[in-house]
Amino acid sequence: MLDLDHVDAFYGDSHILHGVSFTVRDGEVVCLLGRNGAGKTTTILTVMGYLHPRAGAVRYNGRDIGALSPYAVARLGFGFVPQERGIFPSLTVRENLTVFARGGRGDDWTLERIFVLFPGLKARERNLGFQLSGGEQQMLSIARALMLNPSLLLLDEPSEGLAPMIVQEIVQILHRLKGEGLAILLVEQNLRVALALADRHHVMNKGEICFTGNSAELESNDFVLRNYLSV
Amino acid sequence: MELLVAQLLNGLVYGVLLFLMAAGLSLIFGLMNVVSLAHGSFFMLGAFLGLAIVQVTGSFWIALVLAPLAVALLGIVMEVLFLRPLYARGHMDQVLLTFGFTFVFYDLVQTVWGRIVLRLPTPAILQGTVDIGAGVFSAYRLFLIGFGFAIAVLLWLLLERSRIGAMVRAGVDNAAMAAGLGGNIALLFTGIFGFGVALAGLGGVAAGPTLGLYPGMDTDILIPAFIVIVIGGMGSLRGAFVGSLLIGIADTFGKAYLQSIALFLIYLAMTVVLLIRPQGLFGIRYADAPPSAVARTMPPSTKATRAVGLIVLAVLIVLPFGLPDYPRALIAEIYIFAIFAMSLDLILGFSGLMSLGHAAFFGLGAYAVAVLGVQFGLDAWIGLAAGVALAAAGAALIGFFCVRTGGIPFLMLTLAFSQLVFSVALKWRDVTGGSDGMALAEQPSFFGFSLSHSLVMYFMTLMFFVAAYLGLRRLIDAPLGHVFVGIRENEPRMAAIGYPTLAYKLVAFTIAGAIAGLAGGLYVIYNGFISSDAVYWTASGDILIMTMLGGAGTLIGPPIGAAVFLLMKNVASSYSEHWLAIIGTAFICCVLFFPGGIWGSVQKLRGKAAP
Repeated sequence: MLDLDHVDAFYGDSHILHGVSFTVRDGEVVCLLGRNGAGKTTTILTVMGYLHPRAGAVRYNGRDIGALSPYAVARLGFGFVPQERGIFPSLTVRENLTVFARGGRGDDWTLERIFVLFPGLKARERNLGFQLSGGEQQMLSIARALMLNPSLLLLDEPSEGLAPMIVQEIVQILHRLKGEGLAILLVEQNLRVALALADRHHVMNKGEICFTGNSAELESNDFVLRNYLSV
Repeated sequence: MELLVAQLLNGLVYGVLLFLMAAGLSLIFGLMNVVSLAHGSFFMLGAFLGLAIVQVTGSFWIALVLAPLAVALLGIVMEVLFLRPLYARGHMDQVLLTFGFTFVFYDLVQTVWGRIVLRLPTPAILQGTVDIGAGVFSAYRLFLIGFGFAIAVLLWLLLERSRIGAMVRAGVDNAAMAAGLGGNIALLFTGIFGFGVALAGLGGVAAGPTLGLYPGMDTDILIPAFIVIVIGGMGSLRGAFVGSLLIGIADTFGKAYLQSIALFLIYLAMTVVLLIRPQGLFGIRYADAPPSAVARTMPPSTKATRAVGLIVLAVLIVLPFGLPDYPRALIAEIYIFAIFAMSLDLILGFSGLMSLGHAAFFGLGAYAVAVLGVQFGLDAWIGLAAGVALAAAGAALIGFFCVRTGGIPFLMLTLAFSQLVFSVALKWRDVTGGSDGMALAEQPSFFGFSLSHSLVMYFMTLMFFVAAYLGLRRLIDAPLGHVFVGIRENEPRMAAIGYPTLAYKLVAFTIAGAIAGLAGGLYVIYNGFISSDAVYWTASGDILIMTMLGGAGTLIGPPIGAAVFLLMKNVASSYSEHWLAIIGTAFICCVLFFPGGIWGSVQKLRGKAAP
């Protein structure tokens, strides 16, 4: 469904992404791994339309979406969970969930279903966004993306800065979403989270993809683990 | 007691009118991070369109509904066609553009309705007075208070209780995130701009029967509305409400009981709030300024550019001999304002700080010459030296507070401080002559030559201009200038490698103030007269326009901008009554077609031509 084809992207004059290509198929969880500054977030921002590729193409179901703005990309069916979580501080938890919610096809996410999956958010329904803990913010950010009823979920380091217990909880939730057939593009630095969830891994270094493979292949590749992931 | 209640009610009336202005302005600031100086114009247009509708239909109520809608339509057209292309370019261009529109709208109103003060008829049902227990009060004014509070409640419900309101708040919080969730930010911006403009238009109609209609009512409401937003906090409806009532009541009581210092008190209050709570009483945060759209760093001078410089200088020396008196005097004035504009460029272009209060230092220099000359009989040149020192001291003091901020807060603080200086100049009549101004008794001589001769005046100002240009050029090419540019480009990095950036910004601000003081002093020597108008915020606006028009950050641009501005003003005003509209249109075209100013565009063309 999502297809990156030799994408080059720039911040101003600095060349960040060099010919990045990969594919996310229906119902698949694909993980981008790599150290800080490897270009993972830049890749996600390019997919979302915050950056536009200067060469190559980003395709969604065969259509070139490289020139679209974030608003148009999101409306195609992308659920975006950014690294900094992007909770609206002056909206309540409930408003954060409903403000941009959209109906999808068939088995819709509704407030009721969200509160079943995230009982912690139900308890905080009337709190304002800035009153949440880091873990709650992460849950809310994921839940808010689900309320858009996306076909593809984009997660930028959902485990970053969170306690192991909460990371575990988030992994379980993502597992359930995967089980329901939702396609996910996951950016991670936490190898264990990546191995627990992804069907395929792409390891990035200096704006290029330097390894592609499934979990077993990644685990057995000492060179990649040592040089690009500092494990 | 009765008087007190009446004053309180009058304060509330003014407060709700301010609120209608400030609510829209605040949302536009907070959500769109746009500085719209044209908001007062929409207030004025609302009032005048209301008048036209009343004249046709005979009904105040139809006007109250239709005029805001018409104004909103105009606002939407302006946002879509003119503002939208500028969002990526930063505040400077938005200020220049909306300033241009204020000129155009002012001229339009003046042309259609003339300059006399008109009045909207009070609707028949609200004529007369009501006994409120503590005396009688105008029925219409009572209605206004209720109307204003009702609008405030409706706005609050809309913003806090509706999904559209939640979208607006989400956009204020984090517009990029809202877009990433499928929020149509472009549509939201247009909607909010139109809505805010409609509120301003509504305020204009509502104010019509009490404040009166005249060209200039735009500025008279815009500045207090700015102050309200600064005090209340940008993007905060509650802040706009509380701030409006505070300023409305304070202003009314001040004018009644503390006439001479009322204005001063309000600006002082604004300054104090900004210093203690820079985000305002209810503001959550300041929208951060996108990097200023300034031209790139100047190329260092080469043999070729030096040769061109010498040729230009030679032309300027020969030029006056072929000219009659009037153009000589005009060019002398251009030199003075070129010095003023270059001084602003030091903080605007080379330090990336946008000041809307630079006229304060011009004024300090000017008043030093005038006051020392008139009150103490001191020689103008001694006054000039004192003026430079006074302007430098004033800039150091004001800069001490201002340089801690950046972006819109810096703009607001410099505006507030300069209005403080203005209110002193206006109210301290015994010394400054207030709005009547003061005149030098005799024109000073320059090394024995009488400055009443236009040729002497020409060469005196040319000398100072060349000296100021070379001095600034030297400063910018020196290591100190590189530090200024470094701070403009990336302040955290400069701080991280050990430069005390605040101190450097203060140095830039002080030097700029001193040179502005020099220009002010020269202006009094040139003009023989100074009044409080020279320190009014529009004077700061004019010099900002000259600098940006020519090209900020280029040093050559500001003199070009000063020349173009003053030539346009003089030529256009002598050939057409509509010179304001002509100048305003020129600004608008300049923003749209010459980003980076005239000289900035020339540089870009040259950059493209060169391999």
